[in-house]
Amino acid sequence: MSNGVLCFAHNNGKINYIKQAIELAKRVRKHLNLPTTLVTSTIDDLYNVDVFDQVIEIKDNNENYKRYYNGTLHHQNLAFKNNDRVNSYDLSPYTTTLVLDTDYVICNDSFKHAFDSLHDFQIYKDGVDLCQWRQYKEFKYINDTGIPFYWATCFCFTKTQETKIFFGLLQHLVSNWKHYEQVYNLGSKNFRNDHVFSIAIHMMNGFTDGNWAKSLPGKMFYTLDRDIIKTINDTSLTFLVEKEKYTGEYILASTDECNVHVMNKFSLGELIDD
Amino acid sequence: MDEKLEKALEFSNFTATLNSQKRILLEKYHGDLVLYYKGGKFSITKEVLTFCHMLKTPNTVLIDDNNTPIQIDDLEDFTTLAHQKYADATNKYLTSYKEISKNRSVEGLVHV
Repeated sequence: MSNGVLCFAHNNGKINYIKQAIELAKRVRKHLNLPTTLVTSTIDDLYNVDVFDQVIEIKDNNENYKRYYNGTLHHQNLAFKNNDRVNSYDLSPYTTTLVLDTDYVICNDSFKHAFDSLHDFQIYKDGVDLCQWRQYKEFKYINDTGIPFYWATCFCFTKTQETKIFFGLLQHLVSNWKHYEQVYNLGSKNFRNDHVFSIAIHMMNGFTDGNWAKSLPGKMFYTLDRDIIKTINDTSLTFLVEKEKYTGEYILASTDECNVHVMNKFSLGELIDD
Repeated sequence: MDEKLEKALEFSNFTATLNSQKRILLEKYHGDLVLYYKGGKFSITKEVLTFCHMLKTPNTVLIDDNNTPIQIDDLEDFTTLAHQKYADATNKYLTSYKEISKNRSVEGLVHV
């Protein structure tokens, strides 16, 4: 039995995901005392191997692009290399694996309880937006037919026959994504892991509402890329959160001992030490 | 102070920030109330505490937040930990709440 964290980082020329992964591995060691394995296609950009338990090099098979915001006023269209996490089961060297986005800022030890859970697959269904006024239905349901939304940002699985079937299903969905995207009437131009995972969980539930996927420990707070992270330390974070109806203006928000998914990669990158 | 921060502070509405911080504290409090026990996940509510006290048996089965039945072999141990969890989380919440309530500036609310 072994426990560990798995993360994926593919630099795209503008955003240094490797740097984020290094910061994540340091925080995982500090708060959870767990090893981290990095999966990357841009290994030449790796400058601190010591923080990782293992580094796995893979080929880049991604062709996705998306709009990355940096606050409410600036954005760029960049390559979004994100369709590898469905291979987590095959890639992970651990029996029980916590898969995390590199932009997930760990500030407490709540994830350690995921490894003591009786359940083989845990994921968040609900997140807490640090912005009070935003109520996006896309984070509740993936479409109008009411399939619940799950966050593929972080999930924990134990290698069993059942989770092997689940990851096989995820790979099938990704391989045939154009078909499933239309079947589920997603109407989204971007490929999203959240949607793939949500559909697969819905299928594992027998195409109905169910609780095959259990909730991860702790709470997932998040900020969108329209918000800006201003300060970061071991346990506290400060943000500028977009203001309602006033584009380009923000209100301040802060967290203490809360794990936060920070979607503005530009501002996160600026704050992380090399 | 950098320009973006200065601008944000200038435009920030104190009440909006206060309410936002109170909401974040409350969400964190709900997270802090969770006790992980024997592989189960239990949100410690007043109902759970009262129920555990009411039971006269040394062991029981409790349904956790994931609707999974968990065998509690030592109910006294569970109740003690539940009490501790409730007291720790609630006292922490009280301290943080008092701290932000006495602040009269946006900077004070978010410790900038």
